[in-house]
Amino acid sequence: MSATIAPARAPSRRRHRPARRRALIAWAFMLPLIAINALVVLGPSVSALYFSLTDWSGLGSARWIGLDNYLELASDPEFLGAVWHNILWTAFFLVVPMAMGLFGAFALTRIRRFRLLFRVAYFVPYIMATVVTAAVWKNLLSPQLGIGKVLGINALGSTSLALPAVAIVNNWAWWGFLVVVFLAAMQDVNPNLYEAAALDGAGAFGQFWHITLPSIRPTFMFLGLMTIIWSFLSFDYVYILTQGGPAGATDVLSTLLYRDAFTSLRAGYASAIGVVMAAISGIVVLTYLVVRKRKGWAI
Amino acid sequence: MTIPRRRFLALSSAAALLPTLTACAGGGRTSGNIQYWWAFNNQLQRDFFQRMVVDAYPGPVRVDLTVKPNSSIDQLTQTALAAGTGPDLVATAGPAQVAAYAAAGYLLPLEPYAQKYGWDKNLAPWALAASLVDGRLLALPASYETMIMLYNPATLRAHGWTPPQDRGAFEAICTEAKGKGLIPVAAGNADWRPASEWWVTMALNHYAGPDAVHQALQGRLPWTDPVFVDAITLLSQYYRAGWWGGSVEDYFTNSFPQLYAKLASGDAVFMITGSWALSEILAYFGTPAGNDATWDWAPLFPLRAGVPALVWDLGIGSTLSINAHSPIPDATADYLNFQVSDPRRQARGIAEAGLQPAPVHLTKADFPPSADERRSRLYVALSNAATIGYTTWTFFPQQTDTRTYTYFDKVFTGQLSAADYCAGLDKVFRKELQLGKVPTAPAPNGLAQ
Repeated sequence: MSATIAPARAPSRRRHRPARRRALIAWAFMLPLIAINALVVLGPSVSALYFSLTDWSGLGSARWIGLDNYLELASDPEFLGAVWHNILWTAFFLVVPMAMGLFGAFALTRIRRFRLLFRVAYFVPYIMATVVTAAVWKNLLSPQLGIGKVLGINALGSTSLALPAVAIVNNWAWWGFLVVVFLAAMQDVNPNLYEAAALDGAGAFGQFWHITLPSIRPTFMFLGLMTIIWSFLSFDYVYILTQGGPAGATDVLSTLLYRDAFTSLRAGYASAIGVVMAAISGIVVLTYLVVRKRKGWAI
Repeated sequence: MTIPRRRFLALSSAAALLPTLTACAGGGRTSGNIQYWWAFNNQLQRDFFQRMVVDAYPGPVRVDLTVKPNSSIDQLTQTALAAGTGPDLVATAGPAQVAAYAAAGYLLPLEPYAQKYGWDKNLAPWALAASLVDGRLLALPASYETMIMLYNPATLRAHGWTPPQDRGAFEAICTEAKGKGLIPVAAGNADWRPASEWWVTMALNHYAGPDAVHQALQGRLPWTDPVFVDAITLLSQYYRAGWWGGSVEDYFTNSFPQLYAKLASGDAVFMITGSWALSEILAYFGTPAGNDATWDWAPLFPLRAGVPALVWDLGIGSTLSINAHSPIPDATADYLNFQVSDPRRQARGIAEAGLQPAPVHLTKADFPPSADERRSRLYVALSNAATIGYTTWTFFPQQTDTRTYTYFDKVFTGQLSAADYCAGLDKVFRKELQLGKVPTAPAPNGLAQ
């Protein structure tokens, strides 16, 4: 077979104009978002990085102190304690709600009646206002009113039980969301795979392990990644239920940051905590991207 | 219709930025009136304030009062001041915040107005002294408070007790009450995490004594001195004995409504709290609560021999300053003078709305005949205070103050020793002292240094 290679045609300005025009219009549509993000994300991020290197009180001018805030963080027991609480929090949310979400979604794929009802029932806590959910649980856990009185346990007053108690309350509102997302992913799994597996003698667990889980891996990985990031940003339930107490037992990085910025008037130090939080999220995302590339995952 | 590309891009950019710029511009003045932001505990206080302090102002420039939430007025003011706007009359939560605003150049010096209106004669010397920042008057105390001990007289009568006047009597009652299944001191910090510092204030001033605290505030005595360590140890022991709130765990989940209710029902014996409680307590006693319980108060007592028998731990609940960017500073100063003067109006605020007064000298005659005797008795006594103590939230610099309660919670939960607590406090305090962030502390006899 022979082939002749035709000489390349000189690029025509006329042919390129529509492409450039399309690109410009696309940029024009993106411009508002870029402008807003530059204003509310990039600007504050850069300034937070700068202020983390100062002794800024949050008011007036800031004095450059180099890495002093970061050096102080390294030996601050409150900060180290908060990091540890965030790690425990992350571990809890990577295991408990993920497992409940997977199990709940898989169970829903197995039933035909009342599926919608269960979906709604699981999802309702997620759309309830945090402050309402927290107030309800505060009363439920109260040693004078609710479950706490019956069991004789003051979970929110105990330095060893408070963090798990707050995590359980947060999980109550959270896991239903995971059920709905996992269920949506599971419904995209080819049903023929389950039929084939059943013919091969696979039981419900075998089908879940060998078909469902690998098939929803992108969703699973994405939610795992976001769980880690969100866990390091958690604030609302902790602040409403315990404000970081008792005796700092539920202090997480965000409550510590809030206290340093607005109560102690140490905005520079709080900025350093914020930068560390962002760095942790960045490391998690980067690690995921590297693993994804090595494994050749699509997402 | 076709839009040229450049025009389209320009319009898109403008459309994107317009809402942001509009938002940034918010908070500016809408009239030539004096702009004033304030927060209230309840509608009664708000109505009284509007009627007697805002509408009644006879000055040439009217006042626009904007009510802000108690929980966020400080942050809102801080943000507005940083943006070069904000109210003409700037409210703060106390001298430590004044110092921060002063350092940022947000406040106008008040010395010329102090001379013009004679504030040094009208206001208590201790309060004016505590409002100085580096020797400059940049704020006036708008309200002040003290620590007191509330009790239900019927509960004391039923058990044959009287309000304690020394540590021995107090500990005897607490021991007996605990044995009877009562809560000796109704206390908790579920609603207000910093509440722990109220009792640290008590321990420091009534065990270590106001002289020692004053010396420490001036940097002449370290917070690691054994007298402070012993004070913290003693308070921690009270907690661990279950005297504060019933138990260490319950302390962290006790809310104020629950505690007031226990005081009214006789399940709790005392409540050691601030004078702000005199307005909160009404809802839990008598007709409003559907019971026949009554309440009274007594001053705090010495916890160690050698400490004066009567020490009033004074704190500034709020201050008022003039915004450095105010276009009408003279009119604002005139209104400021109106607000912090006139003892009779201050007394009416106490009597009719439970408002905390400015530190003016009050006599029994200043109060209306209908005034609650318990309230008037407190403020008349305060006006004649011979020895003052120092509340941590007024006289400690910001970072030290935060540490006072966050770390004290670790002491009575057994995570930190009293000595380590004091060492940590001293370290942070020294740093802030060096940076000039410690508010001026008047001498314990109430006179400025």
